[in-house]
Amino acid sequence: MKLEAKNVNFYYGDFHALKDINMNIESNSVTAFIGPSGCGKSTFLRLFNRMNDLIEDTHLEGECFVGGQNIYDKSVSVDELRTTVGMVFQKPNPFPKSIFENVAYGLRVNGISDKKIITETVEKSLKQAALWEEVKDKLKKSAYELSGGQQQRLCIARALAISPSVLLMDEPASALDPISTSKIEELIFQLKTDYTVVIVTHNMQQAARVSDKTGFFMLGDLIEFNDTKKIFLNPDKEQTQNYITGRFG
Amino acid sequence: MQTKKITYKRASQASFFMLFRVMSYLVVGILFCIIGFIAIRGIGVINWEFLTSAPKDGMTKGGIFPAIVGTFYLVIGSMLVAFPIGVMSGIYMNEYATNKHITSVIRVMTNNLGGIPSIVFGLFGMSLFVNKLHFGDSILAGSLTLGLLALPLIIRVTEEALKAIPDTYRQGSLALGATKLRTIRSVVLPAAFPNVMTGLILSIGRVSGETAPILFTCAAYFLPHLPTSIFDQVMALPYHLYVIATSGTDLEATRPMAYGTALVLIVIVLIMNLLANVIRRKFSK
Repeated sequence: MKLEAKNVNFYYGDFHALKDINMNIESNSVTAFIGPSGCGKSTFLRLFNRMNDLIEDTHLEGECFVGGQNIYDKSVSVDELRTTVGMVFQKPNPFPKSIFENVAYGLRVNGISDKKIITETVEKSLKQAALWEEVKDKLKKSAYELSGGQQQRLCIARALAISPSVLLMDEPASALDPISTSKIEELIFQLKTDYTVVIVTHNMQQAARVSDKTGFFMLGDLIEFNDTKKIFLNPDKEQTQNYITGRFG
Repeated sequence: MQTKKITYKRASQASFFMLFRVMSYLVVGILFCIIGFIAIRGIGVINWEFLTSAPKDGMTKGGIFPAIVGTFYLVIGSMLVAFPIGVMSGIYMNEYATNKHITSVIRVMTNNLGGIPSIVFGLFGMSLFVNKLHFGDSILAGSLTLGLLALPLIIRVTEEALKAIPDTYRQGSLALGATKLRTIRSVVLPAAFPNVMTGLILSIGRVSGETAPILFTCAAYFLPHLPTSIFDQVMALPYHLYVIATSGTDLEATRPMAYGTALVLIVIVLIMNLLANVIRRKFSK
């Protein structure tokens, strides 16, 4: 599913966090957002599943489209939008429930109660998230018995279980060790056959490794948005060049 | 000179440390004194008959069974009143209310309600439930009054329990398309459950020991039969203790029974508090 932002401005109180952003994100691709802390990349990501709605005293100007539908239109149900646009958070946040129930949760809250369907979907999602082999014998154990990397893959499985079309990932590997990180990256790479993946990352090698397109944000502006290769090898803007070569940020 | 200073520092460190330690041991000591004092004087009258039979011969003989049952009914009744209201307002305060001014007003009021002397609750309960609403002296009126008394504690504990649940749980659930209500029901409340239960049990301990709120609303001096409906009066342990300690026909003779009653009451409250701890430990693993 395609994502699109048209003349997006976003404010936290008086603070102008996103300045007139326009962007088109193709379906079945991986798009990375990079930029220094506080540049607005996470805020921009969270617009697409309306997680910013939860923050008080914020407001949005402009339009965001998911699959051609303006998701800030009054007719849109936020709950349904979030079943189409899934999200993985920076810190693994499994529920204090069993591994099985964590993955089944999304199905249950969306009205699926058929045990067979739930069991099958849980297994399928855990396989997709490359976690099945490690947890298949302890599905009833608490999710908090898993390592941080496993927890994050569990959260990915949880998001995949309700078969969204878009997967937003907010620095999904920033709290993980290198081995877990490479597992997650491998996973992201495979996910793009079925999903539109958008990932926020502080790790530029990660952006270069996994993404097709990269957007560079700074102080609320989208400085440059282009093919990842172009951004990393031959960016148009000097600011991008400086950030990527580590001269600031 | 230098060594003298160091010695002085060490000495003052040690003496303050000692002082703090003595003070905290003192608290434990006082508790043990009270329990010990009552246990030694009361243990003699406690036997199966004391726990299972009604008072006899102008309360100089027999047991305290109706009072135990009465306290049990009042605890159940007051919790049926206070628990749903308290938990729901706690949920509203922490999960729904967005206006900081309103929540802070509610919080101040709740704390004030908690600070009102229990005799005032008793008078209020008498004028509203007993007289105005014509419930009479009854389990119903007593339960409502005790429920009001327990309400602030339950609201506060629920609010604190919910506050301790990390927002990442809520976000995780909402991001999966769960509604806010579903998120509270399926993720937030189950996680907060042990602490909410702890609050419930602590308030049971509080309610079962209160005398003033039941004095004018439900407590009977003596009842030969157990109550049969919520509109009946009941005997209750704290009030029964007051009665046999102050207004019997032969105070000296009934003194051991008073201590026995006090012991039963204390043991019930202690068991409640221990239970609260066990639940908290078990679920917080």
